[in-house]
Amino acid sequence: MISGFYFDGKTSDKKRCTLQYDEQGYIRFTDIDVARVHIDSIQISSRLANTPRYLNFPDGSLFETTDNDAVDKLVAIFKPSFLNGVLHGLESAKIWVITSVSVVILFGWLLIQYGIPHFSKEVANMLPTEASQYMGQGVLEIMDENWFKETKLSINKQDELRLLFSQLLDNIEDSNHYKLEFRFGGPIQANAFALPNGTIVFTDELINLAENNLEIASIMLHEAGHVKHHHSLRSTIQQFSLAMFVMVVSGDVSTSSSIVSAIPLMLVESGYSQKMESEADSFSLDYMLKHNINPIHFVAIMEKLEASYSDSYDDCMEDSKEDLKQNDCLKEAVEKKKKSIDGKNLTDYFSTHPNMQKRIDKFRKAK
Amino acid sequence: MGYDDSAIEKTNITENFDFTGKASEYFSIWIVNVALTILTLGIYSAWAKVRTNQYFYSNTYLDGASFRYTARPIQILKGRIIAFAIFMAYYASSLVSVQMTMIILGVIMLLVPAFVVMSMAFRLRNSVYRNVRFNFDKNFKQAYKVFIIPVIFIGAYLIVAAQMQSIATENPQETLILSITVMILLLSIFLMVPWWEYMITLFKAEHSKFGGANFSLTATLKNYFGMYAKGYGLSMLMFAGLGIIVAVLIPMISSSEAPDSMGVFIPVVIIVFALPVYLWVFAYFQTKRTNLVYGNLVIQEHKVQAELKVGAMMLLYLTNTLAIMFTLGLMMPWAKVRTARYKASVMSVLVAGDLGQFVSTQAEHQSALGEEIGEMFDMDLGF
Repeated sequence: MISGFYFDGKTSDKKRCTLQYDEQGYIRFTDIDVARVHIDSIQISSRLANTPRYLNFPDGSLFETTDNDAVDKLVAIFKPSFLNGVLHGLESAKIWVITSVSVVILFGWLLIQYGIPHFSKEVANMLPTEASQYMGQGVLEIMDENWFKETKLSINKQDELRLLFSQLLDNIEDSNHYKLEFRFGGPIQANAFALPNGTIVFTDELINLAENNLEIASIMLHEAGHVKHHHSLRSTIQQFSLAMFVMVVSGDVSTSSSIVSAIPLMLVESGYSQKMESEADSFSLDYMLKHNINPIHFVAIMEKLEASYSDSYDDCMEDSKEDLKQNDCLKEAVEKKKKSIDGKNLTDYFSTHPNMQKRIDKFRKAK
Repeated sequence: MGYDDSAIEKTNITENFDFTGKASEYFSIWIVNVALTILTLGIYSAWAKVRTNQYFYSNTYLDGASFRYTARPIQILKGRIIAFAIFMAYYASSLVSVQMTMIILGVIMLLVPAFVVMSMAFRLRNSVYRNVRFNFDKNFKQAYKVFIIPVIFIGAYLIVAAQMQSIATENPQETLILSITVMILLLSIFLMVPWWEYMITLFKAEHSKFGGANFSLTATLKNYFGMYAKGYGLSMLMFAGLGIIVAVLIPMISSSEAPDSMGVFIPVVIIVFALPVYLWVFAYFQTKRTNLVYGNLVIQEHKVQAELKVGAMMLLYLTNTLAIMFTLGLMMPWAKVRTARYKASVMSVLVAGDLGQFVSTQAEHQSALGEEIGEMFDMDLGF
């Protein structure tokens, strides 16, 4: 005896009734005038927490009941099967729920920490070099239109640096497509970056910061490291994989763009980015050690670069027009900034680049 | 929640929606879903979606009977695979060239009205109440009519804006004309939003059916303009107030503190005062929109009623967001369940006579394609 509602499937009329069954598995309803039906021809919905069960009859009618235990008993007698309520079993047993929590945390962590970076690296290495040639096409044009101006470096200086660049490339495999470009940075300030197609862009401001060409070489090597390791391609694949992961786990597309997941996603993505910066640093450091370039040059330029983003540096640029004075002022700014760089800040976790002090120390200690 | 006999006399009775799900129950279902999805590399996600929807539908009662979600996981899996392929193509194109991405994006935009229709049809035809299916008329022509005008305006805006970029430095007079055109286009798009939302809602509502009966929407265009006018007006007032507070506070603080700490302090002040305004705007539109749609649906003589409150929604969103953020997502089931419970608690149907008079129609086979692709590209199609 199971009590519930009967719906004939032709109209939305609801009839309260009681379902009865005999030993042979024939089902009939009290109060409702329908022929008896054998249970084999009935489709019974599987259990889901305490939601109502639905018994679908071959004529399109439906019996709905909240008496889950009675339906479970009916199923156990006439339709015994291993598959009955497997999912409900998983969902209602504490041990499986705890197992699931551990699986989610462990595999989620493994996937984010190792799975996605490794997968991206493999895919990026698998793709032919030509693939990244097309990538980011037009990016430099867009930047030229919006921020950059033509370089103000002398032709001599440019040629000198291009020669240096090609000398460095002689010792890097598959580097035929690497290209060097100079731009006046303007709002971009002192900076250098690598485009996926192998173009490495230096701003005049960064060139002017350097006291010698070896300092510039150390940055060229860092950027070459980005190109060598397909970092642009990899970060695109990583972002895609991460978005898919969030989507699949939350079962909801909007979550991957909502405010709730914004902070964790930012943390993970900046973690990936920091890893790549370290990789590019290592590439530069290995090269320098192998070819007898003193790593201290990287330290020197990085400290100046860091200082160039500080307020006192901007003051120098405004106040002193004479180059000599300006240089002194800049040195002062560097010293001042050096003192203020210490320990790990909270903002480090959100930064695209690793902690500056750590990066510098890696080069300083390498001898 | 048990079964009650509904009253039989032909008078108006208010039947409340009732949501009986529990956070602890749904947590178990959700975590098993996530674990199996990870272990099967995403394939189980189709089953997970069905189970989740079944849980939320079947825990929603009206007049003692529950709702039922009948989509089959395999249908959803097929849709997901195709949607995944489109998503991949979109991402891959972003690697190759900007133009390629624009073309793919353009094609997807052109298909949006069709996706909306297919998605609505899939969702409604898989929703059953009292063994009678909901339904959606697949009127693609009408869908494109509703979407075409805003698309033309937005397209025109993008083209003019792109033009402006390319000739900006060369001809000042032409630049002036173009910027005026851009302003006019932007203003008309801005003013068009309420009208557009009304047209889409009307389209969705009037093509929705329960059995053989059509829904209709009693909300008017005036209601929609009213919602936006009040929403924009009040939020502007709040931001103006915020500006005054910040303008007064910052000199006060800066005089007492060292100038170096200002860099950190100003964003903090702005966040502390701007977040409630942001929260209000978000909750206001969600609340009013839901009330306008669900509070004005009529089917036969029965009227759906919705009385969500902005304050309650603000509190709900704030606590949900904080809980999810601080537990790295583990409280998401709790947030979803209490949101569903709140919404059900303020919704009801004013029943004329009883709900037993709807006539069932033959169900058609429905592809999951529209719904899943729609989902992937983040369109809110809710009904």
